[in-house]
Amino acid sequence: MTGSIHPGVLMDFQFPVFFNALNSDLFFVPVLLVIAITLIAQTAGVILGFPMALARISKNPLVHWPVDLYLFIFRGTPLLLQILFISDGTAEFFNNPPLLYPVTRNPVVAGTLALALNEAAYMTEIIRSGLQAIDPGQYDAARALGMTPWQLTRKIVIPQTLRVSLPPTVNEYINMSKNTSLLTVIAVTEILATAERQYQANFRVFEILSVAAIWYLLITTILTQLQARIERRFGERQDIAAQPGFATRMLVGFRRPRPLEEPPEDIGGH
Amino acid sequence: MDTDTGAAPAGTNEAPLVHAVDVCKRFHQLEVLKGVNMDVMRGEVVVIMGPSGGGKSTFLRCLNHLEKIDRGTIEVNGHPIGYRRGSGDKLIEESAGVVARQRADIGMVFQRFNLFPHMKVIDNIMLAPMNVRGVSRAAARRRALELLESVGLPQKADEYPTRLSGGQQQRVAIARALAMDPKVMLFDEPTSALDPELVGEVLETMKRLALENHMTMVCVTHEVGFAREVADRAILMDGGVVVEDAPPERFFSQPEHARTRQFLSKIL
Repeated sequence: MTGSIHPGVLMDFQFPVFFNALNSDLFFVPVLLVIAITLIAQTAGVILGFPMALARISKNPLVHWPVDLYLFIFRGTPLLLQILFISDGTAEFFNNPPLLYPVTRNPVVAGTLALALNEAAYMTEIIRSGLQAIDPGQYDAARALGMTPWQLTRKIVIPQTLRVSLPPTVNEYINMSKNTSLLTVIAVTEILATAERQYQANFRVFEILSVAAIWYLLITTILTQLQARIERRFGERQDIAAQPGFATRMLVGFRRPRPLEEPPEDIGGH
Repeated sequence: MDTDTGAAPAGTNEAPLVHAVDVCKRFHQLEVLKGVNMDVMRGEVVVIMGPSGGGKSTFLRCLNHLEKIDRGTIEVNGHPIGYRRGSGDKLIEESAGVVARQRADIGMVFQRFNLFPHMKVIDNIMLAPMNVRGVSRAAARRRALELLESVGLPQKADEYPTRLSGGQQQRVAIARALAMDPKVMLFDEPTSALDPELVGEVLETMKRLALENHMTMVCVTHEVGFAREVADRAILMDGGVVVEDAPPERFFSQPEHARTRQFLSKIL
């Protein structure tokens, strides 16, 4: 037995197995796959979320009802169910026509699609709250200056919405990287599925899952660092957003944003 | 300040720059404007006073179609604002693009400044000239710096608005509106949100705009000193109509209507 090191505390954690698995290229492709699925699914969610958020705040029921229904369904059912529904359900329901082969015969595509559609619902709400956080006076001022609705959207609404929605959006990237593990049920060989396959072969569940955990931690740590960097960059450009929110401080640690440049003295004395 | 607005000598028989006839407006059941008539001549400074809920801010916002109207006509510089006449005198609302073009000639300053917080002061001022008028970046910048100079804030160009005091923000807002070379400036309680010690600098800027640049101005304000010193006419609006319309000397010392006297007794 290798329980020679503190058998009572570590039970029989086999460090060689752990380090071998960590060192091997076993997880190399799965990690890249998780990163790719995260970026694609989440970015698709953001892109879908913007028009859906605009539709949701529309006063026209024909515009906002479809989005309300979409949110009702995608937020009201488990993500795992949605993944199975899109991957396996559609194939059976539509009798698997060749048109749907890209989805039904490719679990990576089906899984990414399911994650993106689910995320679109959450991004809709994040962007909607960003849109609604804009002071109505901003619209008055832009209109009074003669800006068209499109100019107003591009120059005032989108930048101000981004500013409010960016921190929660980066959080969503972090969540997404972990949610990719659900794709294990539709046989996507991402990190968790790879781990599962490995410990089913060598029966070292604890060691292999520890390795998988480390890879997830690595990905989320990189994303968290990226989040801190993005928020600092935005913080340089406006004062209010420079104050990180509660969630950000929790995730990033209590690091202060880089101080703004000193304002020049008011020599005019007004 | 160097905004040329081509003030015409008073007393000529020219058409009014702002011409409002029988303007009516309701919010659901509440009738806010019940037939407002008002003419403002080129170069004239008009101060609108009155109790809150009397319709003065709503009327001002109708002048650049930030509020829709239910009946009546508003013309600025001879052009109907926001609507055209359909058959049977029905009001047909103009498209957003047409309204936007009409608004470009009407400057407006708000109670809460409404500067764009995600842009530096200079970009706040350059935004509309570049995007709406198609002015080049260099020309817009030159003009913006001139305007900042004229409102006494040349050193604030590269600040973000939140770094400025309320009075400074409001002066930037005035510069931002002037950058479009408006034919008329609308002021919606421009000093009401300011700390008392900051009111003076904004009124001073407005005063210079009126006296040196002969800007046509419609100001909703309760600043009696400003009205007495600068205004050509003072107007009392109450209950959705114009109650009193007189030169400030007469308005403040011997108003015609009891309603005006009652109001003045509360603010003087």
